Amino acid sequence: MTDIDVHHLAAAYALDAIDDRERAAFEAHYGSCDVCRSDVLEFRQTLAHLAHAQATSAPTALKQRVMAEIATTRQLSPMVVPISLASRRRPRSMVAFAAAAAAVLIVVTGVVALRGDERTTYADDLARVMAQPDSQLVSLDNNSSTDGSFKVAWSNTLGEAVLIGENLPPAPDGKAYELWLITPDDSMAMYVLDPAGDGDVHQRLDAPAQPTAWAITVEPEAGTPVATGEIIYIATV
Amino acid sequence: MGVLRAIRSRPVDADVDPSDLIGDLLRRAGRGDQAAFGELYDALSPLVYGVVLKVVRDPSHAEEVAQEVFVELWRLAARFDGTKGSARTWAATLAHRRAIDRVRSEQATRNRQDRDANQAVRQHDTVADEVEASMDQVRVRRAMSRLSDIQREAVELAYFGGHTYREVAVLLDVAEGTVKSRIRDGMIRLRDELGGES
Repeated sequence: MTDIDVHHLAAAYALDAIDDRERAAFEAHYGSCDVCRSDVLEFRQTLAHLAHAQATSAPTALKQRVMAEIATTRQLSPMVVPISLASRRRPRSMVAFAAAAAAVLIVVTGVVALRGDERTTYADDLARVMAQPDSQLVSLDNNSSTDGSFKVAWSNTLGEAVLIGENLPPAPDGKAYELWLITPDDSMAMYVLDPAGDGDVHQRLDAPAQPTAWAITVEPEAGTPVATGEIIYIATV
Repeated sequence: MGVLRAIRSRPVDADVDPSDLIGDLLRRAGRGDQAAFGELYDALSPLVYGVVLKVVRDPSHAEEVAQEVFVELWRLAARFDGTKGSARTWAATLAHRRAIDRVRSEQATRNRQDRDANQAVRQHDTVADEVEASMDQVRVRRAMSRLSDIQREAVELAYFGGHTYREVAVLLDVAEGTVKSRIRDGMIRLRDELGGES
């Protein structure tokens, strides 16, 4: 998908009229595109008029149910964005991204290695993966009470994967989130997640093999070579 | 495109209600204030329930989805960022998205029979709801009338029908690229007619 195609999806995106694959590509793009962000906001404001014109009194029992449910529902903490990431722009390269997040990506197997093309952006990476005929996209199911939502897109011909995560809270003290690519022979490749300050996790990864599952765990420390912690998100392929 | 952009160029937040009562309620709710959230519910529930009902059609499904939307607003309240649009826009966006999620997941199991976007019965229980909504109805109807037929149909099938633009292309029997640009043109026209925040 070219950049021009992506720009032209702003209206369809605001209307929720695109499929998951295009949505993932657009969301990856629009975080770093001022034009699209402004378009989407304005289209959403416009659509709020259309929604408002449909205003209909809700059944009275609904309020009681809502109030009862929120009374027992924990609220998420506000986002605290470090100054270096405050613009919400994605750093220009994985190298910069890793540095900005002061995180280390640990290589478990010889084949898992970062490619150091410093000019490619996360959006480019995602678009390239999605453009492959064999690209696949899965949503990870929440297996715990940890907030967040995760999708992984990958292409085995390309040997690359892109993780699209949102609203991941900071890891508990001293612990780390890790993503695992689980292969048919049960070998695993591990990636330490480095969420941006706002809980977004946008990372490009190498996909050395066709996965049978993707899983995210909470590990006692960053870089644990085997999964020992609780599985908080999982998708089988 | 350059001309359109120049004509309508104005600060995004120029239309934000300076008193921003709904935003204040949401910020208070973000600090755990359930009473404020109750007021927020009263202010937003006609919009949230109305748009959800319009999209999902089935009143009992609409209630479930509206409940999910409000619980999500409660959970996310502390993350509300007024610089990225008003609380009302945020609620409308969330409500529409959840309604779409519901119809798409239903569609995955069985194709919906009734696709007619104009059959949902609207009810207004109070005069205030009626008046407030009808003011926006008049403006929206007028704005919609300025769209070409295909723009209007494409926007309505997408927003209220819950179809992707590809599905809209099939329904209208035109090329996908055509629908994509009609949707875009239609939204730009609507934006120029309706302005920003309600």
